[in-house]
Amino acid sequence: MPLDATWVQAQLPGRPISWFATIDSTMFAASRLASEHAPSGTVVGADEQTAGHGRYGRPWHSEPDAGLYFSVILRFPFPPDALPLVVLALGLAAADAILKSTGLVCDLRWPNDLLIHEKKCAGILPQLEGSAIIAGFGVNVNHASFPSEIAPLATSLRIESGLAQSRETLLAELLPAIDSYCEILVSDGKRAILDMFTQASSYVHGRRVRVDQGDSTLIGITVGLNAAGFLMLRDDMGKAHTIIAGGVRPCF
Amino acid sequence: MSNEDIKDLVQIFIESNVAEMEVKRGENSIRLRRSFGQAPTAEFVLPQMMPQQAPAVISSAPAPPAAIPIPSAAPDLLVKSPIVGTYYDSPKPGDAPFVKVGDPVEPGHVLCIIESMKLMNEIECEVAGTVAGKLMENGRPVEYGEALFAIRPR
Repeated sequence: MPLDATWVQAQLPGRPISWFATIDSTMFAASRLASEHAPSGTVVGADEQTAGHGRYGRPWHSEPDAGLYFSVILRFPFPPDALPLVVLALGLAAADAILKSTGLVCDLRWPNDLLIHEKKCAGILPQLEGSAIIAGFGVNVNHASFPSEIAPLATSLRIESGLAQSRETLLAELLPAIDSYCEILVSDGKRAILDMFTQASSYVHGRRVRVDQGDSTLIGITVGLNAAGFLMLRDDMGKAHTIIAGGVRPCF
Repeated sequence: MSNEDIKDLVQIFIESNVAEMEVKRGENSIRLRRSFGQAPTAEFVLPQMMPQQAPAVISSAPAPPAAIPIPSAAPDLLVKSPIVGTYYDSPKPGDAPFVKVGDPVEPGHVLCIIESMKLMNEIECEVAGTVAGKLMENGRPVEYGEALFAIRPR
């Protein structure tokens, strides 16, 4: 069933929401709106994406009506050195909204994959464009199953809770949560987000992980976040590494 | 950083119109600077290669090749990283780079992506001109304020 955008709009009066039955990518549309000076909080969503993508242009499985796919334009006065922490703040916002709307507790895999029982239920891809951040969200809400190639890695809120979940309720929780966590970063500073993320994520301390860094792979134990929010790792030789970007995966 | 790398960087510097350029590769860095009308000077800091010495700074003043005159017009503009992250010169692995040295560029032309955690930052050119130098290797970490490109304004 298509998302009831009228209901969501009624919960969030004044917020610009454009909702489409089908779109190529909500990121492309939000990016166009941002270049036309659309205000902070502007949302572009769709019941189906035909060219949804994740990191490095990887395709994102956007099953019609089952997931929540949207991009939001964020214009906050983040200090330049706090910008990477927006990535962590967005993960915290999504975990908070999923808890409030479904009762499910998500783990956060640095920097912001949302996991339940080690399977990914949501991905967030933020992009900096001029003074705006365009944050793309893909949440697996009512998928009953996944294609075999991603089934071992992906889950949905319906699979985990055993119940069909309301995409409208989740969106109505998620949009204010995104604003709240961005405001915490602006007003309370980096430490507040670092502390909350450290508490919410099992990946920050003591996890043995593998990090793909293009032409090399790093394996080691996580030893916390540094002041900039980057993940620190100690490899098997005892050497310290700081992970600036890259896919972090458990290593057994 | 090998001698070939240094030669390449000096060549890029000579052919560009910038007054000063600093490139970091891991623990090595090289800073090149000149006053227009004079020969370029270079400072190399190569801590890995000189572990016994105090911070090593070698100054030299190589004469520019006669065939490549140092232009005296307005200096090239350096495009710097606005964020700590990883430098990517194409939209995704295997794709052609956003720009090559010698390409014409316009304001808004995407030059590269800097990824910080998962924040993808498309770096756009702010002036019309030509790409005079690419100063960073694909996949390398970059610091805040580090020079990525030299753009010769048109």
